[in-house]
Amino acid sequence: MDSPEQKITKTVSRVDASKESMANSRQVIGINFCGPTPLMWRADDLKSVRELGIIGTLVGSLARQPRQNTRLGRPLELLPEEGRLMADMGRAAVIPDSTNEDPEVNPEQVEQYHAGLENSFQEQGALALEDRKTTLMRVITEKHNENSGSQEDSDGAVRDRLEALAHGFSFPRTAMAVQLCTARAGLSHCPEVRRFLAADWPIPRDERSETRFRVFRDLRRQGFYLTSAGKFGGDYLVYPGDPLRFHAYFIVVCISMDESMPLCDVLAIARLGSNVKKTVLLCSSGGSQEDDGEEVVYTSLQWSGMV
Amino acid sequence: MYLQLNKHVNSLVLLCFTAGGVTDSLYVFVPRGNLVKAVWIPSDMIVELQSPAGKFWQTMGFSAHGKQCLHPEEALYLMECGNLQVFYQDLPLSIQEGYERFLYSKTMSVQHYQVFGHLKRLGYVVNRFDPSSVPSQYERQLNLPQSRDRSGRLPKRKRSHSPTSRHTGTQEGPTSKRMEEEKDCNREEEDKNPDSLPDLSAPDIDEIQTASHVDPTTSTEGGQGRSWWSKEGSPDPDSELPGQPQSSPRWDFSSIPFPDLGSRSWLPSSLTSPDPCLLPGAVGSVGACDVAPWLQRLNLREVRMSRRECERERDRDRYRRDINQDREVRRCRNWAEYQELQGRRIQRNRRDRPTHLWEGPVTPLHDPAQVTSTGELLDKISVIKSTRLLEGASSLKGSEEWRICFNIYQPDTVAEFKKSAPGKPYSRMCVCSFDGPVPDLWTLKLLAFQSGDVPVTYAVVDHGDISFYSFKDFQIPTDTSF
Repeated sequence: MDSPEQKITKTVSRVDASKESMANSRQVIGINFCGPTPLMWRADDLKSVRELGIIGTLVGSLARQPRQNTRLGRPLELLPEEGRLMADMGRAAVIPDSTNEDPEVNPEQVEQYHAGLENSFQEQGALALEDRKTTLMRVITEKHNENSGSQEDSDGAVRDRLEALAHGFSFPRTAMAVQLCTARAGLSHCPEVRRFLAADWPIPRDERSETRFRVFRDLRRQGFYLTSAGKFGGDYLVYPGDPLRFHAYFIVVCISMDESMPLCDVLAIARLGSNVKKTVLLCSSGGSQEDDGEEVVYTSLQWSGMV
Repeated sequence: MYLQLNKHVNSLVLLCFTAGGVTDSLYVFVPRGNLVKAVWIPSDMIVELQSPAGKFWQTMGFSAHGKQCLHPEEALYLMECGNLQVFYQDLPLSIQEGYERFLYSKTMSVQHYQVFGHLKRLGYVVNRFDPSSVPSQYERQLNLPQSRDRSGRLPKRKRSHSPTSRHTGTQEGPTSKRMEEEKDCNREEEDKNPDSLPDLSAPDIDEIQTASHVDPTTSTEGGQGRSWWSKEGSPDPDSELPGQPQSSPRWDFSSIPFPDLGSRSWLPSSLTSPDPCLLPGAVGSVGACDVAPWLQRLNLREVRMSRRECERERDRDRYRRDINQDREVRRCRNWAEYQELQGRRIQRNRRDRPTHLWEGPVTPLHDPAQVTSTGELLDKISVIKSTRLLEGASSLKGSEEWRICFNIYQPDTVAEFKKSAPGKPYSRMCVCSFDGPVPDLWTLKLLAFQSGDVPVTYAVVDHGDISFYSFKDFQIPTDTSF
């Protein structure tokens, strides 16, 4: 059939064009907050965010195989520091929560939805009929090859059967496929509008989260990839490259400059680091209140034997 | 848009490539016949089904005023699996909207949902935890049957906790319903063994029993006595039983005084009225109870000893000496001499004990002449006494930040799982995060007590990554020869 091929070529060119336009326009990534947790829902956002070096964790069910835990799907949960870094760089914006608006039914949207359903039903019916026809043709040609009867009779018979199929075929409504959207449709999907809608970063800033953020930013600036490290007793795990390709080198523990760490804690974290073959980094930020210009001080702990 | 139809078993999965960013999400296409429709009701925070439920109804959901309903986390999980389509204001909710609308409360946040989803995907049956469904230790001692009355409780309790609840008829006198449950239990106990419950213990039971004895209908109706307590309404036949009370009380029976009418030393003429909070709301103040008719029913006769017992008493008395018969004491002429005699006698007894050790203010802990076992000796010198996890746990008050969220049942019980009689869960889950404090001993005791005899697991959510921890009560083994 000709039409699908035409469709393919058209789509490919459209995809290329849209990709270029996206690259050109410094797309702003949308972050939605669910309570205090930053989440990302859009597929192209997820792709571009990985290129920025932000890893995050997928926490939703995978649409294709929802009942397993090895591969998860959207949303992508971000560390608060990841989101804040992107917002500071101007690459991301917080989409304000619109669940409290629109208390009444919007009849226009409902009509649109039902019209969309009807269109989808017609399309699916047509596609199903085509599918049936091709199957029938295949069966008939196989039979024809086996029997090798006369040409005209078989052609006529084939045409009759196809016509009978077209008349008798009805696509039941219960077999219709209905789409369940993952991300919300609406204005926020348009990258240009996101900058307009952006809200302030809603997480309260206290000393500990400041320290964590500065350490994160500094390590990220040096090109490392960071993920969370609660299971290892620290704040971040530091990878020299993408976490899918490397093991972590460091466990980062963020403490403030003037905080004294009891010796048993130092011993505990050092023991842990040596057991998992990673170096422990104790990190503190410079102590001044300005954002730029202060340094992060790193101390590494490594278990060495008695010489 | 290029659609590629992949025929899967029950669903059609289509990959849509973008054309301008309008449809850039991965959609799941599900045949409409399998999709259950539902409606989100924000005021009650539940999802009400509008078409009959599928296979998931066996382990999820509950019935409320004739309709099948789901908790928000259950509905969100089913949406992600592609089994449910939830409508709000006539439009279907996307999963993102589901997250934002269903998960904004503290009882069910994104972290709680992550744990819920993780366990459900592994196949466990996960329900919300209901603190009153845990039998108290007293009830466990009495071995009360648990299966009959737990089913219809969940929706009623939920609504009674929410401030905007529309629940009719049960809001007044929550204490009265609690007492009803206790009364039911007590009465069931009574009905079961009418013969073995002697009159002797009747006054020892709480004053409630006197009120129920007074009422003729309850005693005659026996098994049907429950209907006397039923509330109006609740027409749903399958899962709700009439007369279902609210949460059962956590009574500390050590602090409620039970009068001991059998003692000979203290015989009150009448008992004062009990604290009204211990009585059903409708009964109110009972008034003082006249003890005399009850005492008549008590067996207050003297114990008549047999001859052997009399002999034993006499033998014991033989070794008791009257001090006036003592010759040495008779020889003393005045009080001072008597005291000297006593001093000498004590000294003689304590010959082995050096005075410099035993006469000062600080004495040795143990006299080596005294015979004790090694175990007792170790107990004497121990500074730290061993204790069990649940010691002192009953007096702990609840906490806002630490609470048990879910009951977990094993996946292999799914085939026989009944929502009305789920049985004892495999574990109970408490959700926390590495950002918060580590659970301290107070929290461990509190949650272990709340959970009864089911172990508690702590699910720690670390930005999408979940780890499970549990604390086990452990006793250092002691040598049995001690």
